[in-house]
Amino acid sequence: MANQAPNKAQQRLSQVSNHLSSGSHSNALPSGGLGRDALLEKHPDDVVVTCAIRTPFTKGGKGPLRDTMAADLLALTFKNLLSRSKIDPTLVEDIATGCVLAPGGGATEYRAAALVAGFPESTAVRSLNRQCSSGLQACVDIANQIKTGMIEIGIGSGVESMSTQYGPGAVTEFSDLLENHMEAANCKVPMGVLSEQMASDRKVTRDAQDAFAASSYQKALKAQEQGLFDKEIMPVTVQYTDPKTDETKEVTVTKDDGVRPGITAQSLGKIKAAFSKTGTIHAGNASQVSDGAAAVLLMKRSTAERIGQPILGKYITASVVGVPPLLMGIGPWKAIPVALEKAGISKDEVDIYEINEAFASQCVWCLNELGLDEKKVNPKGGAIAFGHPLGCTGARQVGTLLHELRRTGQKIGVTSMCVGTGMGMAAVWVAE
Amino acid sequence: MAYPTQDALYDVAHSEVHSNHLLTASGDGSLRLYDVSLTPEFPIATFQEHSREAFACSWNLTSKATFASSSWDGNVKIWNPERQQSLLTLPTHSCTYSTQWSPHTDGMLSAVCSDSHLRVWDLRTPASANNHLILQIPIHSAPFSVSNAMLQPTFPPSEALTHDWNKYRQGVLATAGVDRIIRTFDIRQPKGPLQLLQGHGYAVRKITWSPHLPDLLLSASYDMTCRVWTDGGGDQRKPAAELGNMGRHTEFATGVDWCLFGNEGWAASCGWDERVCVWDVRAFMP
Repeated sequence: MANQAPNKAQQRLSQVSNHLSSGSHSNALPSGGLGRDALLEKHPDDVVVTCAIRTPFTKGGKGPLRDTMAADLLALTFKNLLSRSKIDPTLVEDIATGCVLAPGGGATEYRAAALVAGFPESTAVRSLNRQCSSGLQACVDIANQIKTGMIEIGIGSGVESMSTQYGPGAVTEFSDLLENHMEAANCKVPMGVLSEQMASDRKVTRDAQDAFAASSYQKALKAQEQGLFDKEIMPVTVQYTDPKTDETKEVTVTKDDGVRPGITAQSLGKIKAAFSKTGTIHAGNASQVSDGAAAVLLMKRSTAERIGQPILGKYITASVVGVPPLLMGIGPWKAIPVALEKAGISKDEVDIYEINEAFASQCVWCLNELGLDEKKVNPKGGAIAFGHPLGCTGARQVGTLLHELRRTGQKIGVTSMCVGTGMGMAAVWVAE
Repeated sequence: MAYPTQDALYDVAHSEVHSNHLLTASGDGSLRLYDVSLTPEFPIATFQEHSREAFACSWNLTSKATFASSSWDGNVKIWNPERQQSLLTLPTHSCTYSTQWSPHTDGMLSAVCSDSHLRVWDLRTPASANNHLILQIPIHSAPFSVSNAMLQPTFPPSEALTHDWNKYRQGVLATAGVDRIIRTFDIRQPKGPLQLLQGHGYAVRKITWSPHLPDLLLSASYDMTCRVWTDGGGDQRKPAAELGNMGRHTEFATGVDWCLFGNEGWAASCGWDERVCVWDVRAFMP
């Protein structure tokens, strides 16, 4: 090749090396047919999770976290993450925090929260809002930043204080321009109303919803009794004013307070529908309004090995899709197959699905349409039993999933949720 | 006989009109025609139009008057050995690793590209904006025979590196490439692959159908093996299967072909180990 400029030889070499790399690379799209095996392969440039924790979730307006601001919940979670992972905070280059209700996205408070938690000024922070998938989006964004080499170590997180920030203030008035466009105007139809509509359109019966909801409660109760949340929940100590006595005291919150014993499909069957007289949706078969925060520490496998971080699992890929705003509940049904396709695996190769239980109606519909084995879905219960602090849920699911996969010796998991205004997100994870 | 060249050679084809003529495809984009009966060290003709590596050349098996070349510059070109300039340029807009004439239909040729598509041109069609392109099949599409299950196996697009026309079954082709899967297609049923042959551990660099049997093909791969496969011969009751594995190469196996004149089953393969292995396929079939 005497007549060639060196860069031409280099070009040719890199093209031929592509023949080898793109097929066997785990974080690139693994080739079909070899799906599961390819996913389980370990590569130095895998994006791995080395710590995934959350606060307990407590009831919005009532629970012991009701007086704690979102940024404080986040700061406590970051502190817990630092103490659990023992990572040197100066190594963390960026933090993304998902949050839905905070005015201004919470950008200012969360930067402050990171400083309070012990991160140095060199650790960047941003907030983001993709409605109920904000926490997942935060983790995916950080994973992608790591993949592209923008950062080496980052934290995906989510927080929501529904007690202090839930209300009409979270959405600005729609302009005439938006109001006069039918599909655009549908974006602000309240979740409960449109889920009721969807339940009746898609023929999800009250009985099916109540049975699903009761099973969520029962699974969560059993998991709580067996201590299966211990690895993901880290206690927080907060100030709490008892609404009855007006007495303020310091409490240490250790467990989800939404989980209750004695709930059956029959007991739920007695509750009156919330959104319409003939409706099927009520407080017992919809997700609980809750407060909480969660955080996930992400980095390359090579980095984790170098600094001695324990690897819980790895991130494979994620999908985001749009669906009609009035059918936002079907989001997981559309997002999950896309994520599986990107990962090159079939639905049966997945061991556990963590699908957010925004409403029993939409969750039941998605499971049925996707033909998922109910035993694989939310084995420790879901948002109906322990709550759905909106922006936090996506980050919460990563820990819930990976700790359960590891405990049971299983490997491949999917997290997914429907997203208000008509979207769905899903991500594929592998436990190690 | 040895000819010095200034750049790597990626493919070679025998002339179908002159028994002493040999065509090469070179890394500098040129096609060169050599006459092995002559002593000079120089090619008797050079065809220089491709702007990047010429990776494949194929002599027209039916009319015999033309040959085709494909290049990383995103073009397939048709040439007549007696003319300096190409007769036709068929753009693929994608790095094209392999081109082959149909052994059955005069004027029909095909190519596979980086963009994971199999293209078929029919030069008998009138000249028009689509440049004689009659088919463009996504190689990664879901297998044709799979029924409408909820989630079909799906495959991401992947660079296609090699393909070949079946010598007996008109319209049947096999493709293979970076995703390690060999697929068979019937251009009369272009919805998706008929069969998927899986087993290679790395990208497949070369496949070639048997000149003796309608269902047999050979492959050479970056996993350093050459393998022999049956696709079932188009019979749904006969499964597609790997029949043998030749693992004597110690580096990437990049070329393999059948012997047309010796015993049925003789083959030769080459690789980055700088060796040509001559072997009998039947000796590697348990």
